[in-house]
Amino acid sequence: MQAFVDSLIQQGYFTGMPTQVVYAIAMIAAAFAVLSFFVAPLAGVTSWLERRVWARMQSRVGPNRVGPQGILQWLADGIKNLLKEDLIPAAADQLLFPLAPYIVFIGFLCTFVVIPFGSNLIVADLDIGILYLLAVTSIVVVGILMAGWSSNNKWSLLGGMRSAAQIVSYEIPAGLAVLSIIFLAGTMSTQGIIKNQGWAPWDWYLFNNPFTFIAFFLYFTAALAEGNRTPFDIPEAESELVAGYVTEYSGMRFLFFFFAEWGNLYVIGAVATILFLGGWQVPAVGDGLIEGVLQFVVFFLKAYLWVFVAMWVRATLPRVRVDQLMALCWKYMVPLSFLCVIGTAAWMVVFPHGNRWASVGMFVLGVVILLLFFGRVRYQIRHSKPELYLRPYI
Amino acid sequence: MSEAVYPQSEVFHTEDMTISVGPQHPSTHGVLRFVVRTDGEVIGEAIPDVGYLHRSIEKIGEKCTYHGYVPYTDRADYLAAMFANQGFCMAAEKLAATEVTRRGEFCRVIACELNRIASHLISVGTFGQDIGAITPFLHALRERETINDLMEEICGARLTYNYIRIGGVGYDITQETCDKILTFLDHFDPIVDEYNRLLSYNKIYIERLANVAVITKEEAFQYNLVGPNLRASGIKWDIRRDIPYSVYPELDFEVPVGHGEKGTLGDCYDRYWVRMQELQESSKIVRQCLKMMPKGPAISKVPRKFKPPAGEVYVRVEAPRGDMGYYVVSDGSEYPYRVRIRTGSFTAMGIIDKLSRGIMVADLIALIASLDVDAPEIDR
Amino acid sequence: MNGFGGYIKNIVETVSTIFEGLAITLSHLVRRPMTIQYPDRIPKPVQETLPLRYRGILEVDLDICTGCLACERVCPISCITIGIDMNKETKQRTFGHFDIDICKCMYCGLCAEACPTGSIRHSQEFEGASYSPAGLVRHFVTRPVALYKPKKGGETDPTMVEKVKIGQEYLDEFATPEGGAGAGEG
Repeated sequence: MQAFVDSLIQQGYFTGMPTQVVYAIAMIAAAFAVLSFFVAPLAGVTSWLERRVWARMQSRVGPNRVGPQGILQWLADGIKNLLKEDLIPAAADQLLFPLAPYIVFIGFLCTFVVIPFGSNLIVADLDIGILYLLAVTSIVVVGILMAGWSSNNKWSLLGGMRSAAQIVSYEIPAGLAVLSIIFLAGTMSTQGIIKNQGWAPWDWYLFNNPFTFIAFFLYFTAALAEGNRTPFDIPEAESELVAGYVTEYSGMRFLFFFFAEWGNLYVIGAVATILFLGGWQVPAVGDGLIEGVLQFVVFFLKAYLWVFVAMWVRATLPRVRVDQLMALCWKYMVPLSFLCVIGTAAWMVVFPHGNRWASVGMFVLGVVILLLFFGRVRYQIRHSKPELYLRPYI
Repeated sequence: MSEAVYPQSEVFHTEDMTISVGPQHPSTHGVLRFVVRTDGEVIGEAIPDVGYLHRSIEKIGEKCTYHGYVPYTDRADYLAAMFANQGFCMAAEKLAATEVTRRGEFCRVIACELNRIASHLISVGTFGQDIGAITPFLHALRERETINDLMEEICGARLTYNYIRIGGVGYDITQETCDKILTFLDHFDPIVDEYNRLLSYNKIYIERLANVAVITKEEAFQYNLVGPNLRASGIKWDIRRDIPYSVYPELDFEVPVGHGEKGTLGDCYDRYWVRMQELQESSKIVRQCLKMMPKGPAISKVPRKFKPPAGEVYVRVEAPRGDMGYYVVSDGSEYPYRVRIRTGSFTAMGIIDKLSRGIMVADLIALIASLDVDAPEIDR
Repeated sequence: MNGFGGYIKNIVETVSTIFEGLAITLSHLVRRPMTIQYPDRIPKPVQETLPLRYRGILEVDLDICTGCLACERVCPISCITIGIDMNKETKQRTFGHFDIDICKCMYCGLCAEACPTGSIRHSQEFEGASYSPAGLVRHFVTRPVALYKPKKGGETDPTMVEKVKIGQEYLDEFATPEGGAGAGEG
């Protein structure tokens, strides 16, 4: 992004304007473009897809009215929420209450600065990319805590407190899991990490060694917890806390929280893709434009796969209790992620240039697990047939 | 934990929160209310507040004929209307010494056990949903929908059946419907297995329920728990087996009791697990009944103006929520003099306050779900 | 659960049961849904797929109604009101009104069982939405209708034969002597 603006300045497009102003305008334009052309439709479509995926897993239909297969449902929901009354309870904190959704939203949107869409498509390739990412996602907890406290509602307060405890705790395993990749890559820049991997699965950091393989699942679990997703959705636990910290919100402010939640799913998937799944790496195909498109598609699909997995997990698992959540973090995930960090470091000492055979072996192991899994799915389909129709007309 | 004493000061001091859980709360199963005093996540006490769904069904009984009151009993517990029908009809039959035809008895048992499956499916489904797993709930409802379709063929209604009448059942179960019931049961058994693997054996689910809100044998007796809640505490007491009625003595079935499957005897998981096993037992009973069902009329000759001689009876049936008792007093007229219903959910409410001390908010939801309380049955 | 073995066992159990659960939900993703969106229609109208015993909204065939008031008397909530006018000169009795309040009706089926000719019966209709409660009161008398008198040797009037037959078929299914609750006269 900066290189692109620099080249424009050198070609003399912005003569007579201070460089800083040009940069500022470029940044605002980039933020606007990312928000309106990528993040908003993405979060919307994710919300629709989540409802559809759930519905099908539960033998239902799901929203299928607005647009083909209901794909424009998110637009209808957005318009509905825009037109709703923006209610601020009289007893709520009049300053913090309206502010909280924006803090949450900023925390989530800032992550898109370092998430690449291709080898050249990135808002800013920061040298501290991953650190920046971990830092800005922590802003979300401030927003949620503000929402919980300022609502002046006991359910909201409980939800906010739960969320704070949860997100702060799960920063640690997530950070440690990321740390082992930073060891391997030797850089914190997102582009740098991707460039260190190859397009082939055995060149991914996921299969680099057994420890990164475990670290990936630790990261994904911790990220689900940070994103307040089932099985860690205790801050808004519907059956316990009514709606948790969003109980008092309505209209567009309510939507902002969920906008951030669904968009955050993509961020989780994208970070997993950057760190473990080779990012936008594709086999060399020559042409710059085709390669760029291909990179974007590959990156997007890899990231979206994990969005799907998050929906799928949410449809499957019950919710953990708040003390079990902490026990899981401190008793299981933190020690295991420490193990991963130490293991990766040891691996790097033993194999300074990596071990190709181990990578291929890990890849084969991954494929075997997947095959086992699909064998299990096949068994389920044959074993129980809910397609018993006493009235065979549906 | 709630009794802990904190250092108090002028500036910082902690105080308990009083939260009203319900009457509009996602997991109070109807309109129930709990006044909960919590210290953060830990509950000090949870006092049930019932009466939001009171429809004075018992008083209405004094204004209805015996035949006309049967549809009202449907509404006492709409998830298990068949048992309410049966209880009242048995009471009326006992008052007037009416014979029930043999085929009628079998029709009753088939309908009742199907209804028990439907009711338990709701119970275990909402249990999963209260713990946070949404898919099992809809899978359970999907199966219940098939039972509703069957009920529709048997008696024409999906929820409030008015099927069991004084002297037998309203409509005979045709051979065609019997075949459909068998098809359903053949399909249902693997579904229960799938349900178990999806929810019951899930580690998170077990962790949430095992060792939570333990009811010991003594407590279960003291608080007068009935039905699956009592059996989960290890007490083998089932009206169908111990005070037999209808054709239950001829049938071969187990009474599942809690064994502390994954934790302590009488915890939430045991209460859940007893219900899962009862699903299979009910399926077994229906199969036997379908085989043994004799030919003959489904209802005996009962006068339309039903006037039982003066007297009083108390009759108990084993409903999905436990011992359901009907106390009916007749003064010899066309209308019952008094009708009183004793339901399992109401007594289960009593123990919630005791068990809730010191558990967490999430556990309270699990406790309410595990007792399978049903607001219409509590208030009647 | 104690010691390192318990620790490892916990992890393995958690992972394997989650694995199993995910397989089950995925297997349902590729199957057909069991429901349809409400206004969508199935090839046949739903009403036609319902069993004959289905207790839908009450309908009355006044042509074969004998005006015996058995339904009005048996109804536990008095949602049926029947008024019969007597013409002083001709001694002809006609229906003044025959109203059923669908709002109150609890679809118990007692009236249909009590009816001697099968004139009042549950239809397969269940979609009863209305803009006002008054719209839910069904008025069956639109023109003066004389009371039906069952003939001794069976119905002979060709227009009535069909109607009597439908009523009798309904009674056979819904309140048969060998199965129906309407059996037995007191």
